[in-house]
Amino acid sequence: MDPQTVQIGLTLKWLLTIAWLLPLLGFVVELIGGGWVWGRYSKNAAYLSVICIVTGFVCSFAALMTWGGHTQWSALKDHGAAHGDAHGTAPAHADPAGAHGEAKPAAAAHAHDDHAKPDAHAAKDGAAKKDDHAKKDDHGKKDDHAKKEEPAKHDDHAHPATVAAADHGHAAGEHGHGGAHHSAPKVVFTGLFYRLAQFGSLDISLSYYIDSLTLVMFTMVTFIASCIHIFAIGYMSEELTDNYADHQVHTSHGHLHRPGRFHRFFSFLSLFCFSMLGLVLAGNIFQVFIFWELVGVCSYFLIGFYTERKSASNAANKAFIMNRVGDFGFLIGLMIVWTWFGNFQFGDLPANGQTQPGLFSMVRGNDGQMKLHVPESGKAEVVFKNQDNHIQTTANGEQRTIPYWLLVAAGLGVFGGCIGKSAQFPLQTWLPDAMEGPTPVSALVHSATMVAAGVYLVGRFYPMFTPEVLLVIAYIGAITLFLAATIAVVATDIKKVLAYSTISQLGYMMLGLGLGGWAAGLFHLITHAFFKSLMFLASGSVIYGCHHVQEMPQMGGLRRKMPITAYTMLVGVIAIAGLAIPYVTLPGGDPIAFSGYHSKDAIVATALTYMKLNGHYLLFFLPLAGAGITAFYMFRLWFYTFAGEPRDKEVYDHAHESPWVMVGPLVVLSFFAAFCAFGGEGGILFKLLLDSEPSNVAGGYVAQTEYLGQGLLNLKLPGHAAIHANHAQAGTLALIVAFAGAACAYVVYGARWVNAGEIKAQFSGLHRFLVNKWGFDEFYDMLFVRPTHVVAGWCSAIDRVVFDGFLHATARAAVKVSDWDRKFDETIVDGAVNTVGIWTFAIGRSLSVVQTGRMRNYVMFIAVGLLSIFALLIMFFPN
Amino acid sequence: MNHSPVKFFPVSVKAVLKKYRFDPQNRGLSVDLSSYLLVGAVLFVAGVVCMATKRNGIGVLMGVELVLNGANINFVAFANYTKLGLDGQVISLFVIVLAAAEAAVALAIALSFYNNHLTIDVDQANQLQG
Amino acid sequence: MTGHQLLFWVFAAVTCGGAIAVVLTQNVVRMAFWLIVSLGASAGLFFLLNADFVGTAQLLVYVGGTLVLLVFGVMLTASGPFSKMQTRPGELFLAGIVAFLLLGLLGSSVCSVNWNAVVAATNHGQPLLARQELNHGYNKPEEGNTGHPLGMAFLGMRPDRDLAPGTKTLSTGYLLPFEIASVHLLVVLIGAAYLARAKRRVQPNE
Repeated sequence: MDPQTVQIGLTLKWLLTIAWLLPLLGFVVELIGGGWVWGRYSKNAAYLSVICIVTGFVCSFAALMTWGGHTQWSALKDHGAAHGDAHGTAPAHADPAGAHGEAKPAAAAHAHDDHAKPDAHAAKDGAAKKDDHAKKDDHGKKDDHAKKEEPAKHDDHAHPATVAAADHGHAAGEHGHGGAHHSAPKVVFTGLFYRLAQFGSLDISLSYYIDSLTLVMFTMVTFIASCIHIFAIGYMSEELTDNYADHQVHTSHGHLHRPGRFHRFFSFLSLFCFSMLGLVLAGNIFQVFIFWELVGVCSYFLIGFYTERKSASNAANKAFIMNRVGDFGFLIGLMIVWTWFGNFQFGDLPANGQTQPGLFSMVRGNDGQMKLHVPESGKAEVVFKNQDNHIQTTANGEQRTIPYWLLVAAGLGVFGGCIGKSAQFPLQTWLPDAMEGPTPVSALVHSATMVAAGVYLVGRFYPMFTPEVLLVIAYIGAITLFLAATIAVVATDIKKVLAYSTISQLGYMMLGLGLGGWAAGLFHLITHAFFKSLMFLASGSVIYGCHHVQEMPQMGGLRRKMPITAYTMLVGVIAIAGLAIPYVTLPGGDPIAFSGYHSKDAIVATALTYMKLNGHYLLFFLPLAGAGITAFYMFRLWFYTFAGEPRDKEVYDHAHESPWVMVGPLVVLSFFAAFCAFGGEGGILFKLLLDSEPSNVAGGYVAQTEYLGQGLLNLKLPGHAAIHANHAQAGTLALIVAFAGAACAYVVYGARWVNAGEIKAQFSGLHRFLVNKWGFDEFYDMLFVRPTHVVAGWCSAIDRVVFDGFLHATARAAVKVSDWDRKFDETIVDGAVNTVGIWTFAIGRSLSVVQTGRMRNYVMFIAVGLLSIFALLIMFFPN
Repeated sequence: MNHSPVKFFPVSVKAVLKKYRFDPQNRGLSVDLSSYLLVGAVLFVAGVVCMATKRNGIGVLMGVELVLNGANINFVAFANYTKLGLDGQVISLFVIVLAAAEAAVALAIALSFYNNHLTIDVDQANQLQG
Repeated sequence: MTGHQLLFWVFAAVTCGGAIAVVLTQNVVRMAFWLIVSLGASAGLFFLLNADFVGTAQLLVYVGGTLVLLVFGVMLTASGPFSKMQTRPGELFLAGIVAFLLLGLLGSSVCSVNWNAVVAATNHGQPLLARQELNHGYNKPEEGNTGHPLGMAFLGMRPDRDLAPGTKTLSTGYLLPFEIASVHLLVVLIGAAYLARAKRRVQPNE
């Protein structure tokens, strides 16, 4: 481990830690200072939040730049190469042990020895186009070389190894994925912040896991959050009052009037940012779970921000409870991991002087493949490895394994949590209701970041998923994206349309991940975050401008009143619809398109390849149809809102463009929505993500030998090369469908050549079905809520009649008994004691008369006493 | 048959009269130990009654002297008539000496009482009344 | 009737009469007088009982000392020359009954005992003590009857016993009680002087 890498790791760690903790500082200060110090008219809370998050963004961006400088932007340097090689040029040195780890043999060397037939020099000759690359490497820094090679190799080994792997990638693409695919391990910095507790081999700790995915997520989250914070200063300014009138809450005295809650909103927003960044930075699955729940709580607070509204509080409860259902699965997954692995860490960590392999190393080693062991009982087991690919053994020499089905169960459990958080198919109903929160919340929490946490976790936990789990993920994603898209077609609330769109796009991401397009799914996560937050902010601007009118049938023609909002939104609409200009390409060969086209294209291409390899036609046709429907309902939204003649004169007349503090973020976001994916799969963003791709993904499936290549269901995951081969075909299909959808929207809502009402009447049954959201709410209501109510009614009846009755009877009996007891106490016990006392007193008093104090009496008493004694003696002892 | 030489009970006045009835054979009233004991008994009873009835403190003291003198007569009588011998006289001498000392102290107390109460009436000394 | 008997009855009558007179008299000075009479007569009884030293001491100490002291007390405490503190008749009556019963008790007790048998039982079958027995170890009876034996007894020696025929033991005397009585007398004198010292008198009109 050379000192420079250690230094880089420390730099990244501290930059990201600052970016992570600043919002927490902001939250604490606002919590203390908000209501009491600054007062209700102050915007200080907003300024503080903005400063925190913008500083966080600067730190994150600096971290990204540091990382890029460290890796020489190696991802970009391969830009000219075929897509298939991208994985082979993983930057820098394999360093799973992170900042505290130790140098390991370059896995590329293994690849070159075992599988890549051409030796290093042959590869060098063959790869002429890499000359410039080679030169760069040769002139690269000494330490860069040192990192890339193991000490035994000669100086120029690093380059040939790289090329060999790249060459192998080609070969794999051509020969139908023969053999296990090995690629260079990725750059990861792991380490420990603080150890909370240690139980045997398991330690509960705060740790970090930094790779390019972490950095990209950090930059994306902080950037979007900055924009939304600034937007929210304008949007929430109505709360800067002592007497906020909530027109949606009716009391006996008319509307509800309450004090404004400006600072509370921003403190929750800061807490949310802290939680989300902590989730991304987390280095172990347990820490992820902690922050997972924290973002859930923030979401609860923010959805229920208008807490007096019944609908808002119900929506907050619904979101929280639905997430609990998913988290139940998450907990099961955690239990399995704890029980069988005894370890929560993602990456390798030093422990007790040696390196403790993390979960990823244990399952996949550093060659990226699970090693199967089938004992005589026939139940497959997965063998645990060390970070150096050796098999872990117990003290008595047996292999450490986990039953295969338990690994599947753990993966499904963790994915269950992701289903809840990302509003996937069975649990999707909470997200539309969550639109009861303020629009900036919807933009930040319920479209761009928090709901993407589920997708992020699937991506992060990817090495632990078996092909079966991935298939489930893919199907869940496909069903979700289609279902949500169809509902979005008939929604009329502008935010509800965007909410269903969000669910649908999340489905796309899950689908992409499930199909083996790891980078494609996360690519879509990033691009979607930009354009969806843009559209939500734009819708917020519309709502603000129309004085809290959200129903699209009351809008129309608003582009004349609020042009900036309209056209920035149009950018987002085009981006999400995935439109591009056909047949015209940029000099690099990329189509001219906004970000959504590239990411969705990548997913659809993965889906097409998967279908060709495995069947499962739905997994291709559902997203393809979804692409068309997406284009349709997004353009419907835009046309409905901004185009044509105004439908409601009053709303139109009072509408106005929002102030600059709100429009500014729109402009900035629209720029990124358009160009963040510039270059498509050759672009910087995609390459950055590829740097973190699990090493088993790029090559696709491997033969089912001692390795788990295709799972027990014989699922062939596509590799990069195969996907690339289908890219053009898929892109064309998706583009055609998207244009078709957009055209339909123009016909019906833009030009209004066809009356939407007639179509609605013609398909009234279908329309009603979609308006009812496929009946999920009713279904859940019937399946869970009403039975729960009935059972609760029984329970309460039993409680009232039986238990309460019993308790009351017991209590009455106790009172009666104690009444008797009191009487007994007072009359007999006290009476006896008192009587004795009275008697004693009276006897003493009367006997004291004898004590005359007179001497003569005493003499007389003595005499009389003497006589009495003798008299008694005579009486009783006559002799 | 009376086995015991000592016969205390029952007692009766009749026994006393029988003993001191005129006996011509003894040419008058016989004098023996019991005669002296009876004199001591009379002195004792007179002393007790004196203590019980006299309100004058000095009178009470005189009663005490009478009681002590009765006891003395008994001692000396036993000394003369039994083997007690000289010891009885020694005891009676001690009694006389101690009675003198007692008289001195008692008179001092009576004087002090008189100084405090301006009277010698013992009924006034009832501070110990319960 | 022998002389001894006659003298006994005379002395006994005077002694008892004096004592009863003390009880019945209400005047303190007369009580003192009757007490002198009674005590003097009892001294005569002592003489009759061969206790000449005790009788002498009775006359000296009681009649000469104690009663003078009593008369001083009478004089010092009498508020008037004929001061009388009447006893209530009820009390007198009650005291009379008690006195009668007490005297009956004592008298019958005395008379119901066969004293000759008692003396015989305690004296190993010997008759009552002879007068001569007191003089064992002494020179002559004429040189003093009981003076010498008492003196020797107070000095811790009992020749009357130890020099008796067949006696080979040493008897104990009364030296220690004698010394204690001496110290006792000294203490009593000091205490009496302390108690009777001159103090501030309470004002008569208070």
